[in-house]
Amino acid sequence: MRKVKILVVCGTGIATSTVVSRKLEEKLSKEGFEVETRQCKAAEVSENLEGVDLIVSTTPISSNVNIPIIRTLAFLTGIGEDQAIEEAVKKLGGGKS
Amino acid sequence: MTLNDIISGLGITVLLPIIIFVFGLFFKLEVKRLFRSAVLIGVGFIGINLILGYFLNNLAPAAQKMVEFTGVHLPVLDVGWPAAAAIAFAGKIGLFVIPVTILVNFLMYILHWTDTIDVDVWNYWHFAFTGGLVYALTNNLWLGILASAIDAALVLILGDWTAPAVQQYYDIPGISLPHGFSAAYVPIAIPLNWLLDKLHLDKVKADPESIKKRWGFFGDPVILGLVLGLIVGFLGNLKSLNTASSWFNILQLGIAMAGVMYIFPKMVSILMDGLIPISEGVRDFMKARASGRKFYIGLDSAIAVGTPAAIASSMILVPIAIVLMVIIPQNQMLLAVDLAVLPFMVVMTIPITRGNILKTVIIGTIIIAAGLLIGTNLSPLFTKAAIQAQFKMPSNATQISSICDGSNPLTWFIVRLINSWYGVAILVAVFALFLYFYRTHRKAWEKIAGSVEAPDENK
Repeated sequence: MRKVKILVVCGTGIATSTVVSRKLEEKLSKEGFEVETRQCKAAEVSENLEGVDLIVSTTPISSNVNIPIIRTLAFLTGIGEDQAIEEAVKKLGGGKS
Repeated sequence: MTLNDIISGLGITVLLPIIIFVFGLFFKLEVKRLFRSAVLIGVGFIGINLILGYFLNNLAPAAQKMVEFTGVHLPVLDVGWPAAAAIAFAGKIGLFVIPVTILVNFLMYILHWTDTIDVDVWNYWHFAFTGGLVYALTNNLWLGILASAIDAALVLILGDWTAPAVQQYYDIPGISLPHGFSAAYVPIAIPLNWLLDKLHLDKVKADPESIKKRWGFFGDPVILGLVLGLIVGFLGNLKSLNTASSWFNILQLGIAMAGVMYIFPKMVSILMDGLIPISEGVRDFMKARASGRKFYIGLDSAIAVGTPAAIASSMILVPIAIVLMVIIPQNQMLLAVDLAVLPFMVVMTIPITRGNILKTVIIGTIIIAAGLLIGTNLSPLFTKAAIQAQFKMPSNATQISSICDGSNPLTWFIVRLINSWYGVAILVAVFALFLYFYRTHRKAWEKIAGSVEAPDENK
């Protein structure tokens, strides 16, 4: 299991980011990742970048960061979840497959 | 032992998890996950109870001293949306709101009265809140349920109406935002925006990034809470600033407020976590029955709130709100926790003003000024609803309210009308007319809500 740290961002840092965190933990563990998630608000992204491998957000982020970012609502709508996970795996540099 | 005895004996921390669990079984959710989520809901309430109690026990006496010694008459404490949500879900209406809203949504969808499938179960609390206030006012459970159903119905149409606008502005295809708080301001923002355009204020541009840098302080709830606590403590101890214990009290109040601002939402997130399986159950249930027709998935407006224009506007609105709170003579609400909810107030106004910060701030100022009066006006019912939901107030004199939803104009509209026959008639008429004129003139209505017609759009 590869350990990764994912920053999950939403407008409030507690609403939709909670849902997304759960989904990422659940689905990425099946892809061979041990996921540690951290939640924050869009306005706090720049303060929370330490050790982060991937950023997943439900809301627009305006900071310029070097870390790969995925902006998706798939985990909330249930549509396109698998594609979103695939993209996450890709941006994390591949999983067990 | 009657059913009522059991309900009040068990209390909401036990009752709601049981109800959610049983409800989740109906949706054929996986039992282990559902069970844990149900327990988590109880835990969420415990957390919210703890912080609310701490907040009231610390701030109430300080605010009271402030009123006595400075004549700044703000005895109504803003307990914020975390408390409002807990009170909504913990009240009798809260027990019904999830099935009632699903029923209303389902019926309206089948009748082609809405295209939105609202899977944002967490935010059904707004409808339960309206219902809870009506129940506190009338003691009539059915009227309370009717109120929450009307609230849900109107908000679903508001969600449809603004859907093209928010989809385009926030780049969220297939989504609508039937949010009980955010959507309520759209009918107010539209005419105000039109007026401001006539005054050519749309020509004045402000840069969100530089505003965020200069006003960032107002966007940080922890620091905001600290400063607010220090100010209230200072004013409350005005007559005894020569004593050390006063200064200890001031500093403690500062940290107490900072703590509340930071910890309160985190407790709420536990509750939200517990509701996730139900949300997904509702979503999959409705999607399976959507019969191939196009639909919008109704989500939390939190997905749009990170937009720079909303953040920047709400930062400027915080000091404006504080000033308004003091200078408006009829206002009695001491803003506190909900100074952090202002982004949600403007988030659906932004597509209407096209992200123009000046117009958004002006509209926000007017909304907040009216909101302070609404919040003051609804505070007796808010407080009564809290007591009925078994939250303990530190004293009989304590009055509470909030911006979300204590100052929600749609809530106020429904609560004030529903207690009379002609009021109910007006509400039904408003619903019917709104539905009819919107559905027969969709493109035109959606344009004034902020949608932009693409040059080669297929009709």
